[in-house]
Amino acid sequence: MRITRRKVLSGSAAAAATVATGIYKPALANTDPIQIGYLPAFTGPSSSTGIGIGRGTQLAVDEINAAGGIKGRKIELVMRDTQSEPTKAVNAAVELTRRHKVTAMWGPLNSGETAAAIGNIARDNVPMMHPCWVDVLIDVKKYPMAFRNAPSNQQIGGAANHYVVNVLKAKKVAVISDTSGYGTASLDAYVPMLKTMNGDVVYSGSVDANNPDLKPELLRMQSAGAEAIMPWSVNAGFLARIINTRAELNWDVPIVGQTTLGSGQTKALLAKPEYWEKVYPNNFRNVCYDAAGQFPPQSAEFVERLKKAKVEVSDTLLWWIACGYDGPRLIAEAIREAGTGAADIVSYWNTKVSSWKGIYGTITFTPDNHNGFLDEGVIMCQANSLKDGAFKLAPGYT
Amino acid sequence: MLVQSIVSNGLAVGAIYALIGITYNVMFSASRVFSFTAGSVGMLGGVFGAIFIGQMGMPVIIGFLLTLAVGAILGVVIEFVTVRPVLKSLDQHLYVLSTLAAALMIQQLTAIYFSTDAVPFPRVIPFETAFFDQKFWLPILACIATIVGLEYLFRHTLIGRAFLAIAEDNYAARALGLPETRLRIASYALAGVIGVLAGFSAGQLMFASLSNGPLYNFYGFVPVALGGMGSNRGAVVGGLALGLFQQVANYFFGGVFSSVAVFVVFIIALLARPEGLAGAATARRV
Repeated sequence: MRITRRKVLSGSAAAAATVATGIYKPALANTDPIQIGYLPAFTGPSSSTGIGIGRGTQLAVDEINAAGGIKGRKIELVMRDTQSEPTKAVNAAVELTRRHKVTAMWGPLNSGETAAAIGNIARDNVPMMHPCWVDVLIDVKKYPMAFRNAPSNQQIGGAANHYVVNVLKAKKVAVISDTSGYGTASLDAYVPMLKTMNGDVVYSGSVDANNPDLKPELLRMQSAGAEAIMPWSVNAGFLARIINTRAELNWDVPIVGQTTLGSGQTKALLAKPEYWEKVYPNNFRNVCYDAAGQFPPQSAEFVERLKKAKVEVSDTLLWWIACGYDGPRLIAEAIREAGTGAADIVSYWNTKVSSWKGIYGTITFTPDNHNGFLDEGVIMCQANSLKDGAFKLAPGYT
Repeated sequence: MLVQSIVSNGLAVGAIYALIGITYNVMFSASRVFSFTAGSVGMLGGVFGAIFIGQMGMPVIIGFLLTLAVGAILGVVIEFVTVRPVLKSLDQHLYVLSTLAAALMIQQLTAIYFSTDAVPFPRVIPFETAFFDQKFWLPILACIATIVGLEYLFRHTLIGRAFLAIAEDNYAARALGLPETRLRIASYALAGVIGVLAGFSAGQLMFASLSNGPLYNFYGFVPVALGGMGSNRGAVVGGLALGLFQQVANYFFGGVFSSVAVFVVFIIALLARPEGLAGAATARRV
């Protein structure tokens, strides 16, 4: 056959038209990375949490990608630092969901930023996993695509109340908070809960966190016969003053409450290190060590992996890293098993995540309950036992 | 124990409020500007004390002197940046905006470069007292030293009399050849020193904390209003009374209600004597 210029041109045009109209489709696998939106606070006042969770998140993604990704596609974290500011979290969330069209969102990682951004993420129909404790941040009707891989505030308060009433067997309890939104909301939520557990609340009140003298409050508690103090505040200064005042009164009543009781900031503000005795903050069973100094097997193996990967633990908390490690794995598993469609991911979480063994805790989701963390995972620990980012279980747990 | 707690805390906190009140007064006397930076300057006294001594490990005396120097520099900066530009239009009260803006900037910068959490303040005197801890008597000592120093300055030195002349009538003082601008700068430097002294002496009681700024601003204003604008003795009496009353209210009413009780008494006192307890009623020219 004679090849003419006309034949070459007409053939090329036909080929171009075939490719352009999509009639021709090569049978090649999609190797584009799967983009996951990621909104940590790496700077600003909430950054210590963001940095800790970030280390776990990065390790999880590195491991998934090193193992070949999800069906040959790597995970790409599209990260924006919220700088601990809710307005920046909203802007970043909109950018990730609309411009980048991410497959799913991990975060924001702090309640204030999630409260601001969750409405936008829900409107854009993007599946979302977050670790924020504030109760209203999970609502299957308002935010049907939002799931939590951490406990809610109800579970945190419930675990502390259970410890005081059922483990310490304290009959009379004093509950104190600062006057912040978190403090007063916790007081309002936990005091009735305590009463339903037959706890006798002999003192309850909110105090300005800057008040330098808490002796009158503790004297009131003491004269009312309180056998345990439950402070609800994230203000290290306020908590340290309660602990210092207890020591000044030579009162050895246990102090049971929020995780900040066990923070380095609180410790630094104590008049003497020994004042940290009999202080029991919330923590999580999987990432606490027992009286023999042993982690549960799965966590022990995880700690070894952290060491091998040279992930620094000593300047942060193990439960932050574990929480950060579980979040992306839940997202990756749903994509691997159900695909990248938003409805498919949500459907997978709703129906297939049952007793999912995370490092941070065991997760079970149902269509009616997107609070995945099991109550048994929330426990109390000994504040003065911090070692390599982890605490010892409080007395009474085995 | 209860009485001891009320008296020790009440006097200590009252002395801090009094010192912040004096800071307000010294700035006001020299410029007729009510500078809302006083509380933030006080807060920085605790912050710089914690940085120099606690974090950088300097000897206490060096850290203390450096903190005072920072206070003096800060006072001068406040005069240049927030007071001088608005002096020509005092009647428009632009200083409220400029000084509040400066206070907010100080708060934000402290949050960014220091901490949003309370930070421990080191022990200043290396010994323990069983009855009356240094965290209580240091603010009282600082208050006594300040009031004695100011009395000496104003009554026995030429520069002190020049300060008084400026405070009394700056036009007449200028006409007499007094360097009003330089004296105003010196007054702001002095106010800065007193402000950081308040925060430094309060460090162990209040911690080095960002949240002390607004607290000092509010409660430091009360003794000035109670004692009379420009009256340092009135500020001391008002501050100590406020501190003691606050602690009594803290015990009898508890929690947030003690603040309410304080401001109820404050409003009643101002309704009864608008010129302040130690202030004189000004005659109005008709």
